[in-house]
Parts: sequence; structure tokens; C-alpha cells
Amino acid sequence: MTIYNIYIFDRMGTILYQTNWNRLKQSGMSSEEEAKLMYGMLFSIKSFVSKISPLDPKRGFLCYKTSKYALHYYESLTGVKFILNTDITIKNVRDLLHQLYKEIYVEYVVKNTECEMGQPIESELFKLKLDQFIKQHMKSLQ
Amino acid sequence: MGIYGVYIVSKSGGLIFNYDYTVPKIETEQTFSYPLDLKLSCENNRLLVSFGQRDNIKVGHVLLAINGVPVSGRKLEDGKDAIEMLDDVTNYPLNLKFGRPKMTINEKIFLASMFYPLFAIASQLSPEPRSSGIETLEADTFKLQCFQTLTGVKFMVIADPTHVGLEQLLKKIYEIYADFALKNPFYSLEMPIRCELFDTNLQALLEQADKNGINSI
Amino acid sequence: MSRQNTRLDVKKVNSELFTLTYGAIVSQLMKDYENVEDVNKQLDRMGYNIGVRMVEDFLARTNAGRCYDLRETADKIQYAFKMYLGITPALTNWSAAGDEFSLTFDTNPLTEFVELPDNYQNLKYSNILCGALRGSCEMVQMDVSCWFVQDQLKGDLATELRIKFNKRLEDAIPAGED
Repeated sequence: MTIYNIYIFDRMGTILYQTNWNRLKQSGMSSEEEAKLMYGMLFSIKSFVSKISPLDPKRGFLCYKTSKYALHYYESLTGVKFILNTDITIKNVRDLLHQLYKEIYVEYVVKNTECEMGQPIESELFKLKLDQFIKQHMKSLQ
Repeated sequence: MGIYGVYIVSKSGGLIFNYDYTVPKIETEQTFSYPLDLKLSCENNRLLVSFGQRDNIKVGHVLLAINGVPVSGRKLEDGKDAIEMLDDVTNYPLNLKFGRPKMTINEKIFLASMFYPLFAIASQLSPEPRSSGIETLEADTFKLQCFQTLTGVKFMVIADPTHVGLEQLLKKIYEIYADFALKNPFYSLEMPIRCELFDTNLQALLEQADKNGINSI
Repeated sequence: MSRQNTRLDVKKVNSELFTLTYGAIVSQLMKDYENVEDVNKQLDRMGYNIGVRMVEDFLARTNAGRCYDLRETADKIQYAFKMYLGITPALTNWSAAGDEFSLTFDTNPLTEFVELPDNYQNLKYSNILCGALRGSCEMVQMDVSCWFVQDQLKGDLATELRIKFNKRLEDAIPAGED
């Protein structure tokens, strides 16, 4: 399996972190513009999903797939949004994202008082742990 | 198995056809005493529950009727203001009906036109070259399968998340579209589809797929 | 980039040390600000900053779902007190509309060794709790107000913290959209 890239937004739409692993195509814009476009699209998808849903949604939007990639979405109750792009064969990414929230974000961002809430994450420790986490799962899910 | 509805969007992004196959009815009627232990807020000119979910009344449901009198917007059918009625102690006990808001045709047109740019952005943001737009979109309550023809028409079906084989179903709907809309000399392209034969054939197809599974079609 | 790999055993941190630390902070604040109202405000602000972080830990550890009713929220708050302070406050005095309730404590670990001097009668000694509740609720899109209505430190029979639900908060919309 392949994981391409990740975006993390806070509830105000600020991009907290984004990074690429095996990305083959760039969007052709700056990373700030790309993050803005991504947040805008997610916002629209969420509103689309809540309106078109035939039953009362609980978690709402989970993922979408195109011919080439799958976008997986996980939102914590506090509104932190994790977006993971992978190839289309992977399943159970939701559990993976929940684990990432619990073991990486909460541990190395929330509990690190050096990390200001609502500001892009600068912590090297967080970056390292996230990279390890993703690479480990890329291997184990192969 | 459960198929909820079918949408067809033209090349230019306009909704040209919509059919609701099954619409789950989610409504609850209950008698309340003063003060009302639900928080209501006014959104898009509808009164909806913003907090204080109980029994089957869920956050996001709208107020449909007071004492059996339908509410539209903030007013009752007899012209009374709904909020004033709810605030007045002397009106209680009140019988209130809440339910999941149904989409109006205007909202459907709006949503269809909203899907169009989402489709394009998904392709633009792809980490792999030459990606299509959104083919499947999953939420906890439904799955949306989209099929775009080479000519740019989009067929979408909304179904239960566990439903399989929606791709084949969409191809079949495409065939029906070709047979009963496009081949009909009185149907003009890009315009809403109002052809009885199209309707009846589509309905028969959905019934068959729902009853006997996708493989039977 | 330093972080111990061996975590402390959360059950083995001495609670008296915690109580003393909090007491030291409050008394230092009283020295630094001199004005009781300012200290109340600072305690609330400190609590808020703790709350906005702590709630993530709570959610990650308990896998809690979203609350759609204040009664659910009250149960979660009660559980959080058990989890972080080892006490279980009673949920009491619900308002008829179900948008206000009280947490009643028969013990408060923050005040274990405290005697409030006479000239500190306006000090809200445990105000950090109000801030923490406000901060953590705000992070799950709920605007609440919290205040003390009774305090054993001031000779009341129980310590009572009141919580009122104000409104739901919405997600930020992207810039340039309506």
C-alpha cells in the first residue's frame, strides 16, 4: 500500500501540518493555496453530505475514491481534521487515523506546551514520530 | 439492500433528473410541558433543534408542526409566530412534531451544482497523475456512486453504505437514458428529463435491483 | 527534542504534592496581583488553557462520542472529574429547561489544606476548574458559563459549581465564502 500525503487542520481551518511521502503529482500551486483549496473542498463536502444524507448522519463524511487515489477523513470531536491520501486498495484507514490522533497528535502536540494551539506545528519530535508512524504502517499493511 | 435515489447532472452542471426511490420518513411527535427542554435555533428560515436531543428527536431536526398545525419557516399555517407560541407558558402543554428536513427541489438543484466543482477539485488535488474526479463518496449513513460518461454527463446513485455493484447499476441507467431520453426526438439535450418511458423503465430497474440484487439486472 | 520514553505511572504521583503546588500558585498570584478580581481572572485563564488541551486527552482515551444533550455532557464531565481528580461530584439542581446543572462536591482535592484568610473572602480559590470546564466544552463546540455558587472554603455546607449551556458553536467557514 501507498500513503501519499497528509493534511492536518484545526477547527478554524488553519493548516497545522502537511507533508508528502510518495507523492507523484504536485497540484501546481503553493502549499498554502493547496491547503486552502483542500479545506474549502472538505467544508463543501461536509455540508453536501449532511444535506443529501437520507438518514441522520453521526460521523458524516468518511472518504472518497477517484480512479487513482482515496481521500480518508477523520475529524476529532474538537474539530481537528486529519486528511490522508492513499492508494485505492487500503481499508480501515479510519482506525489508523484515530490511532494517529490518539498516539501522535494528542501526545506530541496537545501535551507539548511548546506547541501553541491554532498555530502550525513546528515540533521536530512530532514530525519524527509522525514519519515513523506512517512508515511503520505502510510496511505492516503491505 | 437499499437504494435511496438517483440524480443526473448535465455536462454544464445542471440537475436534469432526480428520482427519490425510497425516502425514509423520520418524524417524531411528542407532548411537551413548559419550559421546553430543547434548544431551537433559526437557520435558513427553519426552526431546528440545535441541542438537547431526546428519544427520537435528533439535533438537526426541524419543527414540522405545533398541535397538528404545520409550521413553514417560522410561522404556522394559520399565521401565528412559532417562537412566540413556544415562549408563552399559557399555550402549554404543546404537541410538537419534529423530523429530518426534506430536501426541496431547489436544494437538490443547489446540491447538484455543488457536486460539480467538488468533482473537479478532487482531480486537481490528486497526488497521482491523471486522476478522475470523485467516483465513490462514503459517509456513515450512505454511499454515493458517480459515473461520468465520456460526454460529461454524470449519473449518481445514493444507496445504503453496504450496497455493492452500484457501478453496474449506473451503466444500466446510462442505457435507459440513451434509450428513452436521448433517442426521444422531443427531448432536448441539457434540459430536464420529462419522459414517461424513462421514468417507468428506471423505476422497474431500481425495483429489480433492490429486490433481486444487482446481478439480476 | 527530548522526551522520556518511559512515562510516569499516573497512579503514583502524590496527590498532596499536587494540592501543595496549586496552593503555591494561588498564593504567588495573590502576591503578584494584589487584587483578588485579577487573580480570579488569571485562575480562570489558566484553567481555560489546561481545558483546551486536556479535552483532547480525554477524548482520545475514552473514545467518547459527541454529546447531543446536556445530560450526556454532564455524565462525561462527571467521569472526567473521576479520571483526572479522583472525585465523583454529584449532578444536581437541574433547571427545568435542562440547560443548567450543578456539580456538587463533598471533597475538593484543590482545597485540602486551605484556610481562607478573612481579607480573601472574594477569592475564587478553585476558579481554575471553571476555566478548565469552559475551555474543554468550547473545544467540543459548546459555549458554556461556569461559576461557583457555594464553597466549603467560605463556610458553606458543600461546594457547588454551576454550569449553564449558552449555545452551540459552528465550524469556521473558509475565507471568502458565505
